[in-house]
Amino acid sequence: MPSGARVAGGFLGGMLLVLLPMLLALGDPYWLDIVTFAYLMAGLAGAWNIIGGFGGQFSLGHGVFFGIGAYLTAILYTEAGWSPWITLAPAMLLAVLVALLISWPTFRLRGPFFAIATMAFNQVAFVLVNYLDWPTNGPRGILIPFRAGLANMIFVQRWRYAVLMFGFLALVTGIAVLLRRSRLGYALLALREDEDAARAAGINVLAAKLEGMAISAALTAVGGALFAMYLRYVDPPTVFSLSDIGVRFALLSLIGGIGTVAGPILGAALVVPVENWLRSTLTGLWPGADLVVLGAAMVLAALFLKHGIVGAAADLMGRRTRR
Amino acid sequence: MTAPLLSVQSASKRFVGLLAVDSVSFDVSAGEMVSIIGPNGAGKTTLFNLLTGQLQPSGGTVRLRGQVVNRLGPHRRARLGMGRTFQIAKPLTRLTVLENVLVGAFMKHRGLRAAEGKAVEVLAEVGLLDRARHSAGELTLSERRRLEVARALALDPEIILLDEVMAGLNPSEVDAAIELYRRLNAQGLTFLVIEHNLKVVRAFAERVIVLDHGVLIAEGSAETILATPAVIEAYIGRQRA
Repeated sequence: MPSGARVAGGFLGGMLLVLLPMLLALGDPYWLDIVTFAYLMAGLAGAWNIIGGFGGQFSLGHGVFFGIGAYLTAILYTEAGWSPWITLAPAMLLAVLVALLISWPTFRLRGPFFAIATMAFNQVAFVLVNYLDWPTNGPRGILIPFRAGLANMIFVQRWRYAVLMFGFLALVTGIAVLLRRSRLGYALLALREDEDAARAAGINVLAAKLEGMAISAALTAVGGALFAMYLRYVDPPTVFSLSDIGVRFALLSLIGGIGTVAGPILGAALVVPVENWLRSTLTGLWPGADLVVLGAAMVLAALFLKHGIVGAAADLMGRRTRR
Repeated sequence: MTAPLLSVQSASKRFVGLLAVDSVSFDVSAGEMVSIIGPNGAGKTTLFNLLTGQLQPSGGTVRLRGQVVNRLGPHRRARLGMGRTFQIAKPLTRLTVLENVLVGAFMKHRGLRAAEGKAVEVLAEVGLLDRARHSAGELTLSERRRLEVARALALDPEIILLDEVMAGLNPSEVDAAIELYRRLNAQGLTFLVIEHNLKVVRAFAERVIVLDHGVLIAEGSAETILATPAVIEAYIGRQRA
């Protein structure tokens, strides 16, 4: 087991590496936007990975917690004038509350049944928010007026958003690193492998799942809030989109390496730029072609990168050392 | 007189139409090595699951050090000092051997360093220290069985329930396993064991409990029990037929 100092060193080194693309993109607004969004998605995938990867609970309902963060921040900011920094607290709290309510019944389900049930909650949230005129403004969504200022989390210079998202990613990754070496982290890993064996080792399986889900949901809500302030517009099809949000977190983790600290970051680093590039080059030729190519790439990843980029790299290293 | 470490009073388990365990009572004192034998389907594993909390009894009580534990889940009983292994070993395959034991060690030791220390100590005890950094999925059957015992030992148990830990082992592995359990027993650990191999039962247990069709049909020292006609008929006789 690596010592605490080595893990801290690895974390700081890794974060510096992650910072590099932002520094390179500083002069280029197009790339800066991509890097900013990749940081946000990496942080969100990392938050999902806490319960989905470490705990093996394949939630496809994290769009609900994301939506809570986005909508609560948008509503409290536009209606009550709360600073988005302050709204993070109630957003996290509400997300945890809803996460526990959703998890209580669904944690009795295993494997695909859990995934399907959580996905259903995402759709329920979509319908609800879309239907309600108050407080979510229904299908019209909420437009956040541009009033620049640190307290408003709205910036003129785009690089400040990149720093903000980087901070979120660093926070999520730091928590994941600490968790991976903690009692709760090991409980989640154990119950992912075998619930009966975990119980025999003294682990309260339901409690550990709920704790992991609560941390994951709270961080996802923070990501949702940042997303709302970055886009300055929230509406139901954007926030509760399964392909762009709810399932995306799981997908990025899968491609990068599920259950590893670096996996979600690598997944986002690969998918977000490629996706943007495909969209800008292929959409002009044939609308939707980018999605076809992206879908095919994901099928290939599922077939040949079973343990993600992290797993493939570990395999390569292992083969080299064995030789 | 102090209360026995483990006390079972008319424990029963009914699965719809089948009475799998029928009013079984027995005590295990601290420091004992007790075997449960009986033909396939006699209810041995069901009885184990009642003791460890995997299943809720339909009737009767289970006491650990005098405390009724009927309503406590398996993790609570594990923390109270009742360790167990599974008939089919359940290694946490994608974790390392050390991490497998660490999971249990965290229950009694706060902080990674303390838990790691405990895990290393336990691995040395069962002879798996040289495999500590391997993934548990790579272990051989006999190593997996040792890992199960190590995971239980990490919680400093007072009693360990072993469910057929000798099945599938070769003779030298069986001898090594017997030696391990005897050594742990000499250190004060109590064992309750389901075992099919009568040679092992003779070498291992001081006291034998015989189950047949969910009923406790005999209880006594290994020599007397293995010479009892009812036992021979229920168990040995049927196997030879």
